[in-house]
Formats: sequence, C-alpha cells, structure tokens
Amino acid sequence: MVNTVTELTSDRAAGAPTGRDTGPKLTRLQQIGNSKYLGLYLLVPAGIFVLMFFLIPVILTGVFGFTNMSTSTGITGGSYVVSRSSMQALEDRHDLGEIADQINQIVYTIDEAGLLAAGQSGVAANTLRELSSKFSGNNFEGRREIERAIKNLDARPANTRAIKALAKYFERSVLNTRFDSKEEFLAAIDGFGVSLTPEQQDALIDVSYTGWVFTADNFKRMISLPDTKKTLLNTLFYVFTTLILFNVGFALVLAISTHYMDSGPSGFFRSIWLLPRITPPVLYVLMWKWLAWDTGFISAILGPFGVEPKNWLLDSPANAWTFIILINGMVGASMGMLIFSSAIKAIPTSLFYASEVDGATRGQQIRHIILPQLRFPILFITSYQTLSLMTSFEYILLATEGGPGGATEVWALSTYFKALNNYAGALEYGYGAALALVLVVVGVVLSVAYLKLFDFKTLTAPPKIE
Amino acid sequence: MNMRNPTTLAALATTALISLGSTAVLAEDVTIQVWVGGGAGDENSYRLGAIEIAADILEREAAVGGEDLNITIDGQFFDDWSAFKQAVTLGAEAGTAPHIVVSGHEDIAPWAQSGLIVPIEDYVDVDSWPINDIYENLLETSSFEGTLYGLPQDAESRPFFVWREYMTAIGYSDAQIDALPADIQSGAYTLANVLEDAKKIQDAGLVEAGYGFYPRASNGPDYWQFYLSFGGVMEEDGKLVFDKAAMTEFYQFFVDAVASGVTKKNHLGMDWGQWYSEVANGKAAMWHGGTWHFGRYKKEGNDDFFGTIQFGLIPGGGGNAAANTITHPLVYLLTQQDNDDETAIAAELIKIASGPRINALHAIKSAHLGITKSEESVDLYSGDRWAREATSRLLPSASAMPNNVNFGQYWEIMFGGLEASWTGSKTVAEAIADVEIELTSTLGDKIIMR
Repeated sequence: MVNTVTELTSDRAAGAPTGRDTGPKLTRLQQIGNSKYLGLYLLVPAGIFVLMFFLIPVILTGVFGFTNMSTSTGITGGSYVVSRSSMQALEDRHDLGEIADQINQIVYTIDEAGLLAAGQSGVAANTLRELSSKFSGNNFEGRREIERAIKNLDARPANTRAIKALAKYFERSVLNTRFDSKEEFLAAIDGFGVSLTPEQQDALIDVSYTGWVFTADNFKRMISLPDTKKTLLNTLFYVFTTLILFNVGFALVLAISTHYMDSGPSGFFRSIWLLPRITPPVLYVLMWKWLAWDTGFISAILGPFGVEPKNWLLDSPANAWTFIILINGMVGASMGMLIFSSAIKAIPTSLFYASEVDGATRGQQIRHIILPQLRFPILFITSYQTLSLMTSFEYILLATEGGPGGATEVWALSTYFKALNNYAGALEYGYGAALALVLVVVGVVLSVAYLKLFDFKTLTAPPKIE
Repeated sequence: MNMRNPTTLAALATTALISLGSTAVLAEDVTIQVWVGGGAGDENSYRLGAIEIAADILEREAAVGGEDLNITIDGQFFDDWSAFKQAVTLGAEAGTAPHIVVSGHEDIAPWAQSGLIVPIEDYVDVDSWPINDIYENLLETSSFEGTLYGLPQDAESRPFFVWREYMTAIGYSDAQIDALPADIQSGAYTLANVLEDAKKIQDAGLVEAGYGFYPRASNGPDYWQFYLSFGGVMEEDGKLVFDKAAMTEFYQFFVDAVASGVTKKNHLGMDWGQWYSEVANGKAAMWHGGTWHFGRYKKEGNDDFFGTIQFGLIPGGGGNAAANTITHPLVYLLTQQDNDDETAIAAELIKIASGPRINALHAIKSAHLGITKSEESVDLYSGDRWAREATSRLLPSASAMPNNVNFGQYWEIMFGGLEASWTGSKTVAEAIADVEIELTSTLGDKIIMR
C-alpha cells in the first residue's frame, strides 16, 4: 500500500507539468492519488478503527449507562409477559390488585370457539367429538390439568407436542405467554375479557415489559452507595501511587542509571526489566502468588525465623496494596524506561561534554540537562499511564479479586464485577456502563488537565530558530 | 421469532396436528449443541455423556417408529463459571446459543425473564417417565413462575465435616462422633459448639492456628446456609427477604471465628488446590463443603473417608433455627432457537438422560446425589456407601436458593458485606448498615427488609 501510494504521488509530481488535458487517461487509483483529499483517504483505515473501537463503544457506553439493561432484560429488546411476579408488582406499585387477580388466572375452557378453531386446523374429528362430549363447558385451572384430560381421551393425539398444541386452543388467559408487541399484548388481554382504562393499560405495560428502559437510576444508585466513595479513593490511590513510584519515577531511575552504563550492561538491564511486560499476565501473577501464599516462598524463608506462615498477599489491606502496586509497577516501569532512554539518547552528547568541561556533577547533569529535555516524554507517559492504570484491573482481578474485603477494589474492577461477573448470572450491563462512563469522563478531564499542566502548546511549538 | 407468541403457536399447533395421523416428521440429520458449565474434569464427563447416550436411545426409538434419525452431539465444557455465563448470555443475544446448556438453577430466573431459555414444559409431558420419578423439590428448583424450565442434572448438598481423630483427642467417644449427625439435626450440636470444639482442638496443638474451622475459600451458595442457620429467609411469596437479625448473627459468627483464631482473617481468596489438599489430609479440624468433595478427597490421597471424616448438616445457630443444607442442582436448560423441531429433540434428549440408570452414572462418577426416587434401586447407586448415606442424611433437610430474577444481586451484596466484616475492613454493624443501604437502593420494593 505504501509503495503504491509513493508511486502514485511521484507519478503525479512527474506528470504535473504536462497538464491534465494532454496526459494519458488516469485510472481510478491514480485519480485518488491526484486528489487533494488524498490525506483524508489515507486516514480512512485509522478512522474506521477509531470509530469501531473507540467512538462507538464510548457512545454505546453512554447510552447503556442510562438504561437498566441486565441479563434479565436482555440486550436486543423485550417482550410483554404476565407472570405471578408482574401481577404482584401491579398490586404493589400501582395498587391494581383487583385487575391483577382478574388477569392472574390460568383458565382453560372447553368451548365452541376452541373446538371450532382446533377443527379448522385439522385436529381429528373423533378427538374433538370425544373432548366435547366429555368436557364441554368445563374449566381447567392449569395447563397440566387440561393436558391430563386430553391424554385420557380414547382418541387422544399420539404425541406430546400435539397434546400441548391442542390444549393451547382452549387457553383463555395470557399468563406466561410472551408477546412481542404492546398492541398484540393489549389485544390479547382484551380478547380474554379484561377491559382496561388507558391508565391501567400503562400500569400493566410498566410491570409486564421484560426489556430495558431508559432511566437515570444508575447514577442515583451510584451516589447513594457507601462503597462508591471507597472505590473512588482506592482508584485514586492505586493510579497515582503506581504512576509516581513506578511508571514515571522508577522508569526515570532505570533510564537515567542505564544511560550512565556501558552499552552492554545497560542493554542487559533494560531487557531484564522488560520481562514482566512480556510474561503472560496469568503466569506473571501466579508467580507473585507463589511468592506470597502461606505455602509460598516468603513463608518458607521466614519460617525458620519463627514467623508463622500466612497469606502475605491478602493478610491486610496494606499488604494487598503493596503487592498490587509492585505487580503493576514492575510491568508499568518498562514502558517509561524505554521511552525515557530513547529520549535521553536523542540529547546531543555535546551538551554532556560541555557540562563536564564546566565541572558539572552527574546530579547537575540530570537536573539541568536530562530532566528538562524529558518534559514531553514525561507528559506522554504520565497521561498515557494514568488512563491505562485507570482502566486496568486484570492484575488486581488475578491477584486479590479486589480483596481483602473490597480493600483493593478499583473502579474498573467494580465495573467488571457489575457488568460481567455475577455468581448467579445476573449481569448488570446498564449499571456497569454507567460506572464505565464515569471513567471515560474522568479520563478526558485528566487528559485536558495534563495538557494544561505541561503546557502542551509550548512543547509542540516549532523551534524559534527555524 | 418468538415461539411463545400465540400466532406462532397457532401455526405450530396446526403443523403438529396435521401430522397427527402419521408419526411426527423429524429431520434426518440433526446436530444438537450442548454447553456444560462447572468444570471440564473427567468426573463431569457424564453431564454431556448422558445426552450422548440419550441420543442413541432416541435414534433407536425413531428407528422403531420407521424413521431414520441421526443425531450428532456437539458438546463443549467450560472450566470457569463466569466465562461460561458470559458465553451463554452474549451468545444468545447474538443468536448463537447452543440448544442445551447445563448451568446452575439460579440462572433460570434471569434467563427465563429475558427469553433466553424456553420452558421444557412446552415440549415434554411432565407426567411421563422419568420426570414423574424426579424428586418434587428438585423439580420446583428447576421451575420459574410455576412453569418447569429445565430438568435437574444432578443433586448435591453442602455438608459440614469434622476430622474424627481430633474429636477423639478432645474427649469425644466413637459413639458420640457417630451420633454427631443426629445431634446436629436435633439442634443439640450448634454453631457455638463448632467454635468451642475448634478452639479446643487448636489449643491442644492438633491443628495450626486458623485451621480449627476452615470454611469454603470463595463465594458460593454455601454461605447462605449460615444465614439459614440463624433463621434467615431468602424468599417469601416470590419476594426476596433480608432478615437483619439473621444476617447480623451470620456475619458475627465468622467475625467471632476470626477473633478466636480458629479461622484466618485472610482465608477468603486462598488457593483452592491448597484448600482441598489440606482438608482431605487432616490439616483442618472442621470445615464445610459439597457432597462431591468425597471424590476429590480420594484424589487428594485420603482413601479412608469414613474412617477419618464424619459429616452432617450445617449446624443451626441455636434457638429455633434448624440445621440445614443447600442443594444447588445443575439443570439442563433449553435455549430459544429458531428451529423448534431441534428444540423438541433436545427436550426429548434431556428427558431420556434424566432416567435413573443414566443419571446414576453421573451421580456415582462425580460423587453427586441422584435426582430420581428409583435411583436408589439401581445397583450402581445403592451399592455406593457415600451416595446412600449422603442421600438419606442430607437430602431430606435440603433447601435451595430461590429462582428469583434479583437474587444474583442480593447474593453479591450479601457476600460483599460478609467479606468486609470477616476481613475486618468494616465492623459487623457497619457492614450490615451498608448492605441495607445497597439493597434498598438496588432492589427497592423487590426485597422485604425485616
């Protein structure tokens, strides 16, 4: 693709003086190559990725966050069902107990209408005759009762599905039947002889709809929960401690110390610090667990000194945080180290020589040469890693699952638990999305704040000398 | 397409009725997909194997009726529950759910509400064999809103275990240890005695600190048993119930266990492999687990279960609250499919697979309990001491968690509070207060606060 584009561009440059009219007819690709919109065309693949993996998810998160979507509402839409619990809600929420009682009856009646409909559908005449003679006018309380009656006929249908299908013709209730549309549902209610006022219809729809609805309750709930504040504080502590100590702080230490080493050892040390990043997370955390479990390395080492073996990882919130920050920090430091090292390499060596001639110490070199030159990389690492830490929870999930007692539960992990992890399969997509939306907003606000703090405009201004 | 819509049903009814005179028309080659949650270990193989055997029988039944039915079973096991549940729910939204899923019964409520699963009662005669032989309470556990949604795949319960040798060491005679299950059941031996004896055993230096009472290592249905032990009620007339007094006593029990040193403060979240190996080999004095642990302990090197371990119900907390156990059956469920004939075949397979002989294969191989009354007459089942004793000692007192749409949320909130008080990050009073606020703001009028 790149070659083709280069060729097209050079064709255009070569062909330009001859004029468009006189030149050979351009192919479609060449026309694109000549277009003033070429830049935009080239951005299309990136645009598609941004759209698919950033904009659409963010928009959907925003929309879902204002719904009560969950496993029980489904994602793609709901139906209208009268059930025991929806009728209970009709009584509790709308004080329509009488209507509920009227609707909440399973009634099967052997009547002419049912017999006629079944006959028209091809049910054997002798079956219907026997059914009519034995049960005409009879009511059955439930589906099992009428099915038993049909099963006992001499001329009973041969298989279970046919028996169930025949019973359906005599059903005079909507209980536990799913309707795809509101109109069908209300028509069926009406058809079974229950007439409702428009207000009663609205109440019935409210309690019978199984799908999701728009609501701001997620945010009200978030504010009202005592653990929300704790999770927020946990997140701030986790992000900024890991960021300052490791992702920026320790990364700078590594980059600067390896800068003053010979190329052989410095390459070796940098490679070692890359190991945590290239180790699969599950395996990496498992190694930390082997270290910290009560049958692990730390307990084994301390045992002979009379220290009781214990689960060091989950022993106390302080222990858990120490491990979480170390686990994340060891991974996070490597990226900063690479970026800072290459930025230091880009500093003209003449600056270092000149400073040494002036008698500058290493400390003075770091303070007056290296750090000022690293302002842009530090801005980049700080912003990038803040966002990355805010949304990362995989190492915490693998190591402590947010424990002990929710002490290490950060916002992203809490979002994951609510939206995608429930012992009883009750996943709360809507509430999870609302939690995720908060992360998106905080991320955007922090990014803008960082750009202001590091004075991004000055950093990216063209050099005055040019 | 919604199969339970009256128009569709009428069309279906017509098709079915027209074919009344002849035998039902079945597709010749059918592939039925089955997804099995709860572990891929060899001991679980009959969760799928039973369906394969059923397919063979159904093919033969069809052949006798003059039809050439060829069923292929495409099965998949999942090791991780949450990955399995995500796969099922998101697969169903995308229209790629398997015909049959094997999952915990507590999934029935949310999945039925969203239309992800369809009632097996739409396809099978509940009076027919072997459904009419399945224990009533297990059928109730497989139902939602009065409709039978699935059939139980296994039964189990979650007993309390003690290490016999340590009980002897603190002065119990063999006769007293043998009578322990009856004492637990009658309320003579309570959770207070558990803490007392655990402390004695620990103080005698028989087990290390924190090993006197060694509970389950992670969240699970087991913890509801302790809420029941203090008189808690999970659901009443279709509505969830939060019993503050019972929940407080339940949290307090675990806090007391930690305070007296018989249970570790950082016990939750420990490695399951380590846990199994320790309880199977006498490193812990008292603990609780599931009936399937019998098989696991053998694997961990304990060849003399009955000689080393005594088991019974989870003791009551004193007062009127009774000893109890929770059964948490996995169930065969049918997902909503476009092809109703395939769903009917899948339903038939589940029904056949639930017969006592086939179910006994799973029960014995995986150390679970049987689902049908006749299973006790199957030699394979009745010849197994564990199946025999566990069935008679535990199943009569077994209850199950409710199939309620909002139970999953209640459960997570309950466990969050337990974990917070257990680890000391909140006092029991603070944890209970937070649980109350969270339940009210999350479930509103869907839960009775008492």
